[in-house]
Amino acid sequence: MAPASVDITRDSGLRKPWGTIAAFLLPALTVYVAFTAYPALRTIWNSFHKVLPRREEMIGLANYAELARDEIFWRAVGNTITWASMSPLIEVSVALVLALALYAKVPGARFFRVAWFTPVLMSYVVVGILWLWIYNYDWGPVNAGLRWLGLGAWTKAWLGDPKTALPSLIFVTSWMWVGFNMVVLLAALHSLPKEVIEAAELDNCGWGAKLAFVIFPMIRATLLNLIVLSFIGKMKIFDLVWITTKGNPLWATETVSTYVYKRAFEWTTFDLGYPSTIAAVWFVIVLAAVLGLTWLFRLKEKLEY
Amino acid sequence: MQVLRRALLLLALCAYTSFAAGPFVWAAMLSLRTTTEIHRNHFALPAPAHWAKFSEAWFNSNYGVYFANSTQIVVSAVLILTIAGSMAAHCLARYRFRFNRVIYFILFSTIIFPPQITIISLFQILVQYGLYNSKIGLTLVYVAIQLPLTIYILESFFARIPSDLFDAARIDGYSDWEIFWRVSLPIALPAVSTTVILNFILLWNEFLYAVVLITEEANRTLPLGIQRFIGDTQEDVGMIATGLMIAIIPVVVVYVFFSERLIQGMTAGAVK
Repeated sequence: MAPASVDITRDSGLRKPWGTIAAFLLPALTVYVAFTAYPALRTIWNSFHKVLPRREEMIGLANYAELARDEIFWRAVGNTITWASMSPLIEVSVALVLALALYAKVPGARFFRVAWFTPVLMSYVVVGILWLWIYNYDWGPVNAGLRWLGLGAWTKAWLGDPKTALPSLIFVTSWMWVGFNMVVLLAALHSLPKEVIEAAELDNCGWGAKLAFVIFPMIRATLLNLIVLSFIGKMKIFDLVWITTKGNPLWATETVSTYVYKRAFEWTTFDLGYPSTIAAVWFVIVLAAVLGLTWLFRLKEKLEY
Repeated sequence: MQVLRRALLLLALCAYTSFAAGPFVWAAMLSLRTTTEIHRNHFALPAPAHWAKFSEAWFNSNYGVYFANSTQIVVSAVLILTIAGSMAAHCLARYRFRFNRVIYFILFSTIIFPPQITIISLFQILVQYGLYNSKIGLTLVYVAIQLPLTIYILESFFARIPSDLFDAARIDGYSDWEIFWRVSLPIALPAVSTTVILNFILLWNEFLYAVVLITEEANRTLPLGIQRFIGDTQEDVGMIATGLMIAIIPVVVVYVFFSERLIQGMTAGAVK
C-alpha cells in the first residue's frame, strides 16, 4: 500500500502526466484540426484568391470589393437576418404560452409534451417535402381548407409568390421548433422553487402579475438562451430552402447558405474563391451578432439588479 | 366556470397537437396509398392499405442502398464520436493543466460556426486526400461537426463526478486509462447514451455536408436519396411519401423507446 500512496502525491502534485493528457486529447484534436480548424483557415486564405480547379491566383481584396457590390448577397443577408430575428420571437413566445398551459397541470401533459416535440426530430428534407405539399396550390391542405371555408379568393401559391414565400418558410421553422422550446421552458418552469410561487399566491398575486413579476424573471436566463440558440440555428439555414424553393422566387427566399452553395457548386464560374469570401464575411457577421446578443443580454441583467 | 375553462384549455391543446403532428399522420396515410388514389382524394383513409409500396420503394427506388449507406456512415461516426469525445471530455474535466480551458473554449466555440466557413475547403481537402465522394470522408466530417457538442455535454457531466472516486481508484492501482474506461465511463453512461442518441438523430438527418461531399449514386445517404427521388418523380406523391416514411421510421423507433432521454439530449445546454 505504501508505495502506491507515494505515487499519488507525485502524480497529482508535482508531475503533470503530459503523456496521458496528450493521449486522451489526441483523437479529438486530430479530427478537429484536420476537418474544422484547417478548413476554416483555408477558407479565409481562399477568400483572397481566385481558386480555379487547376490554379490559384492571389487577387488581394478584389473578392471583397465585388461582394460589397453584390446585390444578391445583400438580399440573402437581409432574408437570413429577417428569418433569424423573426423566428426566435415567434418560437419562444408561442412556446411560453404552451409551456404555461402544460404547467397548469393539464391531464395528459406527458402525451402533449412527447407529441409536440416530434417535428424537430425530422430532417429538414422530410419537413420540406411535407410542407411543399401542404402549400400546394391545387390540393394542399392550406388552400383546400380556405376553399372549404369559402375563402377561395385567399388561396395562392404560397411558396411561388415573392411576397408570401419567406413568411411561409419562417412559419415552417416555427412549426418545427416551437415544441423544442416548449420542452426546455417546461423543464425550467418545473425547476422553479415551489415556495416562491406559493408565497406569491398567498399575497393574492393574480396570474398576470405572478407571470410578470415572479415566473418571468426566474426563467429569463433560459428564455435568452433559447433566443440565442434559435438565432444561431436560423443564421445557418440551408436544407429547408434547398428542398422547397432553392431561393426562388426572385431571390425572395435566398439565404446566405444557399447563395454560397450556388456560387461554389452550381454556377459555372468554377471559382471557389468568391464563395469563400462570402463565407468569411458571413462568419464575421454571425460571430459579431452572437457576441453582440450575449453582451446585450448581460448588460440588461446588470442594469436590472 | 372552472370546468369550462379547463375544457377550453384542453381543446386548445388538442388543436395544437393536431397542428404539430397532423402533417406526419397525413404523410403516413399517403405512404400507404397509390398516387392514383391520392389524386382522387388527398385526405382519404388508406383503405385498402398498400403495404407492398414499401418493398417497391426499397428495391426499385434504391432506398435499400441509401438506408444501408446512412446506417453505415452514421453508426461509425457515432462510434468514433463517442470514444474520441468522451476521452477528450474526461481529460478536460479530470486533469488540471495549462491550456485546459483554452482547448475547451476553442472546441466549444465551434458550435456557433456557420457551416460555410469549412464546407468549401472541406470539398477541396477531401478531393486532395482522395476522400471526396467516399463514405469514409463523410464519416470523418460528421465526427468533426458533432465533436464540439459531444464534448460540451460530456465534459459538464464528467466534471460533476466526485474526485474522491478517482483517488480511490488510483489507490487501488488503476492506471489512467483504466480509470477512464472502468470508472468514468460507466458512471457517465446516462450522459454518454444521451449524446449517442442525439448524434444519431442529427447525423441521420444531416443534408448540407452530404450534398456537397457525395455525388455518386452508390454512396448517397437517405436525405440525398429522397432529394434525388423527388427530382426523378416529381408527381409520384404516393411513392415519395413511402420514401419519407422509410427515412422517418428509424427515428420514430428510437423516439418510442428513448423519448425522455432524447428530449434530454436535444435540450441539453439550452437550460442553464
